[in-house]
Amino acid sequence: MTTNTVTDTPVDDVTLSLWHQVQNSADYCVKCNICTSFCPVSNVTDLFPGPKYVGPQAQRFRNPKELSVDDSLDYCSGCGICSMVCPHDVKVMEMNAKGRYKLYQDKKDIPIRNRMLGRSELLGQLSSPVAPIANFFLNNPLVRILVEKIVGVHRKAPLPGFSFETFRGWFNGVHKKSPNYKPSTDKRVVYYHGCSTNYYEPHVGKAAVAVLEHNGYEVVIPEQVCCGLPMLSNAEFDAARKNACTNVESLVKYARAGYKIVGTSTSCTLSLKSDYLHILDYNTEESRLVSQQTYDICEFLLDLYDAGELKTDFNPVNITVPYHSPCQLKAHNMGLPAIDLMELIPGVNINHVQAECCGIAGTYGYKKEKYQIGMDVGKPVFDQVKQINGSLAVCDSETCRWQIKGATGAKMIHPVELMAKAYGLI
Amino acid sequence: MSRYDVVVIGAGLAGLTTACQLAQAQKKVLLVSTGGGALLLASGCIDVLGFQPATSKQPVTDPLGKLDAFLAEAPDHPYNIVGKANVQTGIETFWEIIHNSTALEYWGAADKNWLLPSAAGAVHPTCLAPTSLANGELTKGGKMLIVGFRELRDFYPALITQNLNEQDLGVEAASSVINAPEPLAKNMNITPLELAKAFERSDFRRKVVQSLQGQSKQFNRIGFPAVLGLKQHAEVLADLERMLGKTVFEISTLPPSVPGRRLFEGLKASFLQAGGRLIIGSKVVEGLIENGRVSQIQMETANRLRPLTAENYVLATGGIYGGGIQTDLDGQVWEPIFGLPVESDSNRHTWFSERFLSNAGQPVSQYGIQVNEKLNPVDSNKTPIAENLFIAGATIAGADWTRGRTGDGLALATAATITKQIA
Repeated sequence: MTTNTVTDTPVDDVTLSLWHQVQNSADYCVKCNICTSFCPVSNVTDLFPGPKYVGPQAQRFRNPKELSVDDSLDYCSGCGICSMVCPHDVKVMEMNAKGRYKLYQDKKDIPIRNRMLGRSELLGQLSSPVAPIANFFLNNPLVRILVEKIVGVHRKAPLPGFSFETFRGWFNGVHKKSPNYKPSTDKRVVYYHGCSTNYYEPHVGKAAVAVLEHNGYEVVIPEQVCCGLPMLSNAEFDAARKNACTNVESLVKYARAGYKIVGTSTSCTLSLKSDYLHILDYNTEESRLVSQQTYDICEFLLDLYDAGELKTDFNPVNITVPYHSPCQLKAHNMGLPAIDLMELIPGVNINHVQAECCGIAGTYGYKKEKYQIGMDVGKPVFDQVKQINGSLAVCDSETCRWQIKGATGAKMIHPVELMAKAYGLI
Repeated sequence: MSRYDVVVIGAGLAGLTTACQLAQAQKKVLLVSTGGGALLLASGCIDVLGFQPATSKQPVTDPLGKLDAFLAEAPDHPYNIVGKANVQTGIETFWEIIHNSTALEYWGAADKNWLLPSAAGAVHPTCLAPTSLANGELTKGGKMLIVGFRELRDFYPALITQNLNEQDLGVEAASSVINAPEPLAKNMNITPLELAKAFERSDFRRKVVQSLQGQSKQFNRIGFPAVLGLKQHAEVLADLERMLGKTVFEISTLPPSVPGRRLFEGLKASFLQAGGRLIIGSKVVEGLIENGRVSQIQMETANRLRPLTAENYVLATGGIYGGGIQTDLDGQVWEPIFGLPVESDSNRHTWFSERFLSNAGQPVSQYGIQVNEKLNPVDSNKTPIAENLFIAGATIAGADWTRGRTGDGLALATAATITKQIA
């Protein structure tokens, strides 16, 4: 047996194995094209030839000493459906994320727009204190045209509004100081809220806290930074890895003490569960421990139900509502706990949208040159949402919610918001 | 507390139809599959018995009628375990699923095979076929024009027509290769799926028909690669027939298979509509058998193994091609989830026939799980290993779809056998 010393990047021993597993999985590719046939992007545009060509097929030609051969990789949205449908367990999406990193390393230039979209946290920190003004400008069509011309963010892309009150500000400054705040003393759970809940949608975090506290948990909110996924998907691996380290250092204390870490953002929890290890090569005892203890909030609540520990004192909510399962949730490979959870509420009829992807794929659909691709990808989702119930829809992922809201006008909520409503908490 | 009555592992024809029937019988069913399932690589037709004996070159025209002879000839074929009655029931239950599906339209009967042109111009004997493929029935005779697209490599109308004509089947075939219109024009390498999407656009269809103007007149039927639409296939077919004024048929292509995808999506929709839960993308990595019963299985998620429990479990992970049976270079052969015994020869030289495309199949493909008539796995003394575990389709010892072209019939027959016991 020989090893190819040319393509082996010098990485330390611990990181070798997981990334090599991803890389070597290319050998299991039998070129069946199932990934390409399910790829939502290559289905709507010629600019991306499909995951097989740029993934397992191109992998063999990726030599760290030579330039990337596949510019079209930039059009991969990173949704991960390819890895999901591959019958041979080839890690196509992971391979492509890494390939995109290489592509931008070779170019030696990541556009300022991509750097900006990768830093939703920084944008939130800067804009949240002046939210009314920031929102005024961002809602102004002329400003959006300028932003498109200068920065490259499409004028119609669904930007969320900044929240004047941050989630952390509410939790520490209002909630914990409320006279009614009586946390549980025996059960604790860590909440990883992520940037979107903190700066754009504190109401999602408030609902999560309400539901967890209603079920007898004290919610602990440690120091945390952006999970790094927006930077990862914009090929800024070093910056993403820095955030990953900060988060793991903060969260591992709780993981060691046996706390479960729950999140309402499916992409943040996927980063903690898997991307840190498999894409960022950040594979240490600490990062593995944090990964093991991380749960999507619906996964956590449904586990409580299975153990007979979830409160079911729901008020009936008579509603038929479309539910879109985000790609970043499907990549958790655990099924769709939100459906079973919401259907515990009397009167709720969940109509699962049968379409793969809404097209936004994190920051992809914001980019000027990719906006229309994203809208074309998402069309079947939008059509079904409008058909089932055009006024309200449920989805676990924030950027998908903004995309679907932008395209359909439907009010979008997270599954825990429906839970909180049925519990009579909001 | 378990939230499922049954967990089905595998999303091929066996897994999907078992899951579908059980869900329609009001069972709470979870189907877990590593990926998209073998139907995406299959023809979309249902092969029950194509050749008898398996090595014969003469296609079977009456699959049910020839079944007894086939069983006598191949005593180790799992059809012997399920029996002729369950093969019939399997076909009937497939019909029930099709009748209740708005997306799928199939034709055929258990006592008659369609004889359809394959992508190599060979005769494909098959029992049930979607309308568009059944339209290519060779015994109808007449003149057929087989159309290809320059941009769709791996589909050669000239090869098909020459082979068909040389076999004196009573049809007269001619070929034509046209340029794919916009938006696929001058595309170097397109897949059948891309063409199928393009065919859902009426302007694309119109331009295709225009390219055939003057050519199609003298023919009774026009054949295309199986790319005539995916979700709107029925409309695409009807519209082409209207514009051309002829019967239009499809010929199966190399993967990704569009008719296979239609069947996959149709069965999936029926399953979900019946309340089934589906997880594509997760691998079941371990199953625990205690006191003659499966007590739980472990599913691999993004960060941890997740235990799943149910009353009954169906193993429909396929043979060595599907990953249900694993092999290594040392000649070991094993079943990876439950570690069920697989009888095999560790001498790898005995694994393959001399001929790559042997009608008798490859010995290694036939390695699988020994089962009893209930389809429970059994050990070498024929003692059941787990009474709530059932083996479906190609995972069973002796199964090999190339062997007499029996793969789909076996999938349906085992699905019916299992459904009867646990529904």
